[in-house]
Amino acid sequence: MVKITLENITKKFGDFTALDNINLKIDDREFMALLGPSGSGKSTLLYTIAGIYKPTSGRIYFDDRDVTEIPPKDRNVGLVFQNWALYPHMKVFDNIAFPLELRKAPKQEIEKKVIEVAKMLHIENLLDRYPWQLSGGQQQRVAIARALVKEPDVLLLDEPLSNLDALLRIEVRAELKRLQKELGITAVYVTHDQAEALAMADRIAVIREGKILQVGTPDEVYYKPKYKFVGGFLGNPPMNFVEAEVENGYLRIYESRIPVPAQYRGLIEKLGIKEVLLGFRPHDAEVVKGISEGLVGEVYSFEPLGREQIVTVSVDKAFVKVFAPEGEHFTFGEKVTVKIREDRIVLFDKKTEKALEFLV
Amino acid sequence: MKDVETRPSRYEWVIILAILFASLPLILGFSLLVLSSFSKEMVTNLDLKSFHFTLENWINVFQGKLATTGGIRTNILKVTFHTLVVALGVSGVVTFISALAGYSLSRIDFKGRKHMMILLLILHAFPGVALIVGVYLLYRLTFPQSPDLIRLYSFFYVILARAALEIPMSVWLMKGFFDTIPWEFEWSGIIDGASRIKVWWEIMLPLIKPGILAVALFAFLAGWQDIIYVRTFLIDQTLATFIEANIEAEYTHMPLVAAAGTLYLLPTIIFFLTAQQILLQGYSGGIKG
Repeated sequence: MVKITLENITKKFGDFTALDNINLKIDDREFMALLGPSGSGKSTLLYTIAGIYKPTSGRIYFDDRDVTEIPPKDRNVGLVFQNWALYPHMKVFDNIAFPLELRKAPKQEIEKKVIEVAKMLHIENLLDRYPWQLSGGQQQRVAIARALVKEPDVLLLDEPLSNLDALLRIEVRAELKRLQKELGITAVYVTHDQAEALAMADRIAVIREGKILQVGTPDEVYYKPKYKFVGGFLGNPPMNFVEAEVENGYLRIYESRIPVPAQYRGLIEKLGIKEVLLGFRPHDAEVVKGISEGLVGEVYSFEPLGREQIVTVSVDKAFVKVFAPEGEHFTFGEKVTVKIREDRIVLFDKKTEKALEFLV
Repeated sequence: MKDVETRPSRYEWVIILAILFASLPLILGFSLLVLSSFSKEMVTNLDLKSFHFTLENWINVFQGKLATTGGIRTNILKVTFHTLVVALGVSGVVTFISALAGYSLSRIDFKGRKHMMILLLILHAFPGVALIVGVYLLYRLTFPQSPDLIRLYSFFYVILARAALEIPMSVWLMKGFFDTIPWEFEWSGIIDGASRIKVWWEIMLPLIKPGILAVALFAFLAGWQDIIYVRTFLIDQTLATFIEANIEAEYTHMPLVAAAGTLYLLPTIIFFLTAQQILLQGYSGGIKG
């Protein structure tokens, strides 16, 4: 069990900068999610921690030990790959035993440990099968078992759930989270699925184009996004953004006008900003029929989802999505007003797309 | 077999007919050879009347008799054994070297890797005959003094020289097979504590079994069939040189040579019939994960 410190990590492949000056501290026993779109460098960062890639510059510490130059096998990490990389020519038992055999552990000890970890993951009855005889969910458990059998200090997971079907994924992610806490192991989890990151992680690092945009608890990144990108990447549907102009204590959005939220009044004055992006989450607003105080627009579409429905409202040229309760009926083109919960509004600078509170 | 089902199946027979027609000369040639080996006289000109069944030729071949009359005998089993030694030797050397070289070219980013790959292609383009003067010079230069060693040395030399001809293409083939294996398998092994060579041996090689088999088979057949290098360097006879030596001799009984020829062809036919499935699997992208 270690804490991981990444110091100014830069990784270049030829001219391409995959990681750009990454600084990150991952606490002992913490579940850290690296969240980002494909090509953002999140997997590269994971492989750099594992030791498969060496950073072009920067240092990596496990506790106080500098592991930057240490080969992967001496870092004591377990890695679960996206395609699981189970060896097809070995039975499940041998797959799990492989890391221990490489350490030349005695036979009885290998057997004891393999069975122990297999029991923990409920695969003890599959040990004499071949990987191709297993279902996706079972293969995934074998991959996790193989990573855990050597009792690693750090468990690294590279999108381990993305090859599972949707229902199984939700089931496994609850289990994986529990397993991590029970073992008390430091875990780094790479994913492009924001729901996975929110559901499982203690903290999330949002990565784009090789840079960390924001690190924080799921609540922080969800409700206090530092960049427009973060707000737009998390949540389903993601955060709404509309352009607004500041006008004596009001925000003008096309024809509509709402007061500047209380938490931003001082800040806007201090920064002297005129053009902002107004962001709010679909469940932090309600749709009211008719024209009143708020964002005035027309119903563009509505999608019932059972417990609730998503209403898309066109506010002049912009579209916003808002959750509405199930019973309400809408018609296309109907005039409505979107009332936003003032304390949940996030304002971004239009140029830098950075939230105003992070500008100072 | 999967296919996109766009071709109207009622025209399939046209294609099958065309393929049959195109391969007719080959099929005919081989059939006549095999028939002749079981006949008292050669079956030629598609005249089946000349076919009179007998097993005599095969019996004579295995007894080492070259003519139905007279006393010239060659131990055909010994000749077959020599052929087998050369074929297995070439196969072993080629497979071992190309499995290692293919892995490095596929997985290790060393200096000059690209040039090396191009060079291999160019080397492959050289026909073996074009190199034979130089290869012979080397043969003479390293020729052993002790007469006891000469036969052994000639085996050793012909195997290496013939393998060298096969290696460029085999390395390319092997590289292709290694390329199909996702990096994750290798990374996984390395993180679990294996060295590169261990990963190669314990993870990668089992994954490309069909590829290894294909390369080994082709190299085996190349060694088995070779005549030019064997004729130039090997002191003993193999089936190829045996047939060649007897085909124009005065005492030759042609159906007997046909039997020897069929024997010579046998591995090729057997391998392509039995290993077809494996080879196809190999060429369509490695083994099922």
